[in-house]
Amino acid sequence: MSERILLAIAAALAAAVLGLALFWQPELPERPLPAPAALSGGDFTLLAANGPFSLHDLRGKVVLLYFGYTYCPDICPTSLAATAEGLKQLTPAEQAKVAMVFISVDPERDTPARLKEYAEFFHPAMLGVTGTPESLAEIARRYGVFYARQPVATAGGDYVVDHSADTYVVDAAGKLVGKIAHATPPDQVVLAIRKYLNQP
Amino acid sequence: MKKLSFLTACLMFSAGVLAAAADQISVDKPYVRLLPPGAQTTGAFMVIRNSADKDVKLVKADNPASRVTELHTHLNEGGVMKMRPVAAIEIKAKGEALLQPGGLHIMLIDLKAPLKEGDIVPITLGFDDGSSKKVDAKVLKAAPEAGMSHHQH
Ligand SMILES: [Cu+2]
Repeated sequence: MSERILLAIAAALAAAVLGLALFWQPELPERPLPAPAALSGGDFTLLAANGPFSLHDLRGKVVLLYFGYTYCPDICPTSLAATAEGLKQLTPAEQAKVAMVFISVDPERDTPARLKEYAEFFHPAMLGVTGTPESLAEIARRYGVFYARQPVATAGGDYVVDHSADTYVVDAAGKLVGKIAHATPPDQVVLAIRKYLNQP
Repeated sequence: MKKLSFLTACLMFSAGVLAAAADQISVDKPYVRLLPPGAQTTGAFMVIRNSADKDVKLVKADNPASRVTELHTHLNEGGVMKMRPVAAIEIKAKGEALLQPGGLHIMLIDLKAPLKEGDIVPITLGFDDGSSKKVDAKVLKAAPEAGMSHHQH
């Protein structure tokens, strides 16, 4: 009997300590966010309307990569329109050293032909590509891109795809060097592109 | 006497009309985003202002150009954009609701025919008290004004 009481007391004490640990938090000094694991980026081959496209085809250019899908009614158009506008503000000499690739993570609905039409609507030099679900997943992992098909209770039927909305920047040597945040206005996009263009 | 009650009825009726949410609502810069040929969905954007002393909820929208019209929003969770339908969009008393790219919008799903730049899409906004308001939204390639900022009233 007394053993039981002891146990109960021990349990109560443990709960109290746990409670303290959980709820009593002394002011912590501001901590820097943990550094994200290095993303390797790297080369890949996908399919464009005119055949296979490899990232290394664009070696020597700063490449902007955007992962999305053409059924995206708002986020992709917002990002792509801002980037396209930014591209148009570059000088012709700068434009010659920049490329933009739209990668569809919805290959079930986005054919390379459809992607071509879609990407060129935003900018005549924008390339639209896609691939198998496996290759897309593997590339996304290397670039730190997130996307997920979501059955959403919308009368629009089917599904939506949640996806990263940042634009990934690959330098002239093919290395992933940075990101341009979603909804960055065109004049800021220009500054961001120039920053990478002018890197030694 | 009969006249007077008729007048009273009229007054009450007009008071009732004045109290309708839709009459306290004004809409600024409505537009529908032009999307590439083949796109089956698009968004409509606008600034909805409420001059009344009480909050108003936009609970539905309708338009003849698409088979389905829904109210939507976007959530940005750590750089991942999620689009979700919402049941209502609140317009605060003496306030406004911004329907703009990347946030709240009216979604035109399953377009009956491709939209062309300059087309007008009449959109009927339905409010929580049953009143409604029609706005003509022009199909545009880009927002009518960069930033869609609001000016002095
Ligand atoms: Cu939407």
